[in-house]
Amino acid sequence: MNESTAFSNIKTLRGLLDSGEILAVELTQIFAERINCLNQTSKAFISLDIDNALKQAEQLDHLSNRKILAGIPYACKDLFDVEGIATTGGSRVLHDNVATQDADCITQMNNAGAIFLGKNNLHEFAYGATGENAVYGTPPNPYDQTRLAGGSSSGSAAAVAYGLCSTALGTDTGGSVRAPAALCGLVGFKPTYGRISTEGVIPYSWALDHIGGITRCVADAALVFSALDGQRVDKALNLKNLTVGIPETFFFENADSEILTSIEQLMQLLTQAGATMKKVAMPSMEYTRTVSLTVQMPEALSYHSRYLESRGELYSPDFRAGLALAQNLLAEHYVRAKRFIETYRRDTNRAFAEVDVLLTPATPTIAPKIGVTEVSIGSYSEPAGNAITRYTSFFNMTGHPAITFPCGMHTEGLPMAAQLIGRHYGDEALLCVAQLIESALGFCVPEPDLSGLD
Amino acid sequence: MKKLQIETLTGIRDQFASYAWDDDELNELVDPKLGIITGFQDLLDQLEILRQVDLGDTPPAADIKTSI
Repeated sequence: MNESTAFSNIKTLRGLLDSGEILAVELTQIFAERINCLNQTSKAFISLDIDNALKQAEQLDHLSNRKILAGIPYACKDLFDVEGIATTGGSRVLHDNVATQDADCITQMNNAGAIFLGKNNLHEFAYGATGENAVYGTPPNPYDQTRLAGGSSSGSAAAVAYGLCSTALGTDTGGSVRAPAALCGLVGFKPTYGRISTEGVIPYSWALDHIGGITRCVADAALVFSALDGQRVDKALNLKNLTVGIPETFFFENADSEILTSIEQLMQLLTQAGATMKKVAMPSMEYTRTVSLTVQMPEALSYHSRYLESRGELYSPDFRAGLALAQNLLAEHYVRAKRFIETYRRDTNRAFAEVDVLLTPATPTIAPKIGVTEVSIGSYSEPAGNAITRYTSFFNMTGHPAITFPCGMHTEGLPMAAQLIGRHYGDEALLCVAQLIESALGFCVPEPDLSGLD
Repeated sequence: MKKLQIETLTGIRDQFASYAWDDDELNELVDPKLGIITGFQDLLDQLEILRQVDLGDTPPAADIKTSI
């Protein structure tokens, strides 16, 4: 019961809770015991709040009014403030930074009845997509312990993927929710830029940061979005009227052949279901990484300047190097990069005049090996972090909502995933389309084999 | 555009409003040895290409701040 319960989706758990087959306090205990057994291996949690979680669950068990996430255990990346708990950012710099109030997102999740279990590991201050962390450890992928869970929301993805909570919140500045979710066989959803409050969340880059949720299925992503946004996701759509945009360039280049095949198969399935595939022109992607870096690094420096003088020696050398780089960019570089971002937004909006959603692979690669700095696909080679976020980071600049979801298993035993992008503020429609596709696909990621780890 | 020199970065550190980066940290940007940041010169070269693109009257993308 414990194993299957821990890997159940929110809808199933809500059914068990509503019928009285399980109490919220029992469900919380199941996850607490799993965390106790598996956190050393998964390195998913930095801090825990189990006593409060059990108290909250006990109170919920005496209430009849059931909110949408009532009794559902969740976690958050350790960038979110939770009153009375340190917000470390995964860094020694903020080891004693105890929050005095909850982040807006935490308030929303708690108001929806979700039970907070603890805070997740991450790439220090979200600076990096591999999830490697010298202080709190590097979360391994549950499908292959020698590979990365991915990042920067590495612990959030690992927590859900190891069955340590039902859902986890993360931040996504270049793909840090969607990419680790994709590498771990989960769903990662980044709503439209600005739609979900970032108040009380340590920023990495104000212009690119998005709040997102990692879940087991698209329906769960919709429930978490509803809790965060306060709107119900309820749209009547069908695949027959759907026009799916397929980017003509960049998103299908230099990718693992099995991942490309899985997306081709998804396109065929959508065509059979009556959807129309349409090639679309996208902006040139040649300098998009440069543009993104030129915005994000000065913003990170500007935020962290408050700690550099007094605690500068506590930062990891790689983050300090990034901040030093930022110090030597010119103001006009930053402004120009933001003007390029405006052109990306406009050009992408233009593409949406002809299509309802865009479809791409989520990542060009399966989860890279831990410690590998370069990933090679054929003759194409790039840093592991760049590969992980190559297909996701563009949509942080444009601000369009985007979701990644599993679409197959690689012969190496790792999950593969697709990415679907919607119109600005078309979050509900995107979630509905993604649910339809998930149902039509009928693909379920097998649970990871965690035997022998506890 | 000339190749970046360490003197440029130490000059910015010492003469501009800047955090007091170590010489080693600045040198790593110019002559990477640790492999932490390997592409600063590439980034500058690409920024020079982007500088030459006429963006017309396109304004910077606006940020949006949402709170409950």
